[in-house]
Amino acid sequence: MTITCEHLDNLLLDATPESMEMAARHAADCASCAEILATWNDLSETAVSMRTAWPSELLWPRIERALRAERKPALPRWLWQVAAALVLTAGLGATMFYAVREQTRDAAFDRTILRLAALDEVERAERAHVDAIENLEQLAEARLDAAETPLMISYKEKLLLLDDAIAECRASVEGNQQNAHLRKQLLAMYTDKQQTLQDVLREETNVPNP
Amino acid sequence: MTTSMMPTTAGRPSADEDRRLAGACAAGETRVFEELYGRFGERMKSIAWNTLGNASDAEDAVQETFLKIHRAASTFTGEASFSTWAFRILVNTCYDLLRKRKRRIDESPIDDVVEGPSHTAPSVDEAKRMTLRKLLHELPEQRRAVFTLFEIEGLSHAEIAEILGITEGNSKWILFATKKDLREKWMSVGGARLRVT
Repeated sequence: MTITCEHLDNLLLDATPESMEMAARHAADCASCAEILATWNDLSETAVSMRTAWPSELLWPRIERALRAERKPALPRWLWQVAAALVLTAGLGATMFYAVREQTRDAAFDRTILRLAALDEVERAERAHVDAIENLEQLAEARLDAAETPLMISYKEKLLLLDDAIAECRASVEGNQQNAHLRKQLLAMYTDKQQTLQDVLREETNVPNP
Repeated sequence: MTTSMMPTTAGRPSADEDRRLAGACAAGETRVFEELYGRFGERMKSIAWNTLGNASDAEDAVQETFLKIHRAASTFTGEASFSTWAFRILVNTCYDLLRKRKRRIDESPIDDVVEGPSHTAPSVDEAKRMTLRKLLHELPEQRRAVFTLFEIEGLSHAEIAEILGITEGNSKWILFATKKDLREKWMSVGGARLRVT
């Protein structure tokens, strides 16, 4: 077969050793095809020279490290779910703990406030009793000093006993002001003393008890 | 003359061997990866370098390729050989990086490359390589890939077809059309001056 310029493209497309040899034989007698073929081969020769190599001592260690990082065993899904449930429970528990602790603190604070308020009220009541008692004592003093009848003498003795008890109770309250039991006892004693003095005064005037 | 990256048909790994290899990669066997790196690493670096234009990006692409091989090895079907499958991952990774970084090869001067990349044909001067590199960069991705894999890396059209997912005939035609186009441009930038006589 005679190779002509029109065949060149097909020969270059085929690019087998045989077709390239045929193209070269034609190019030997055809200047334009010779230039085409020369450039064609030049491209190939230049391309081969672009194959590149360089030392990369650190590349394989990098790849190995990256692969190891990838291979960290993944936890099975159910384990993640359990872990999530535990975290949630711990979170809820912590939240509840702090909430209860805050409530306790608040309650303690409230109790303190209430206690102080109650104490004020008790102390006001006590002062009121003391004021009333002082008033009544002044009124009953003369009668008690001149007590002659057995009734009046018993009132006087009772009042003396109450005074001792009140003094002793107040001393205890001084050291434990928020002791409700002592406060109640003291109030009871004041009430009793107040009543007794009122009885003394009534006896004097012979007014019947209400 | 092409130098295949794979052994001849007689010595080509069997499908069973490829599946064993894929299984070992999926399991993350470091020994197997090291073997793959030893066999294909230099070729991978060269392909990546000629695609991306500098050694740093090329090494990143190779590293990323090995990670992708590990992640995807369990999906290897054996339709293509394991080696061409791996090179397909490399080519795609290079183009992903190229699109992501939008780096032009002509912005990476030759001196930017790792000092003394050895070129196997010291008789061809650096100016011609630079010219061709610039011309290649202007090509569409597939044409550039076919030219790079065939002319630079010496792969066969059969191997290129497997890597790029095209037919062997298509690979031949794309190469012919690309070289014809390059020849005209090569001549227009002073091909006669550049051509080795």
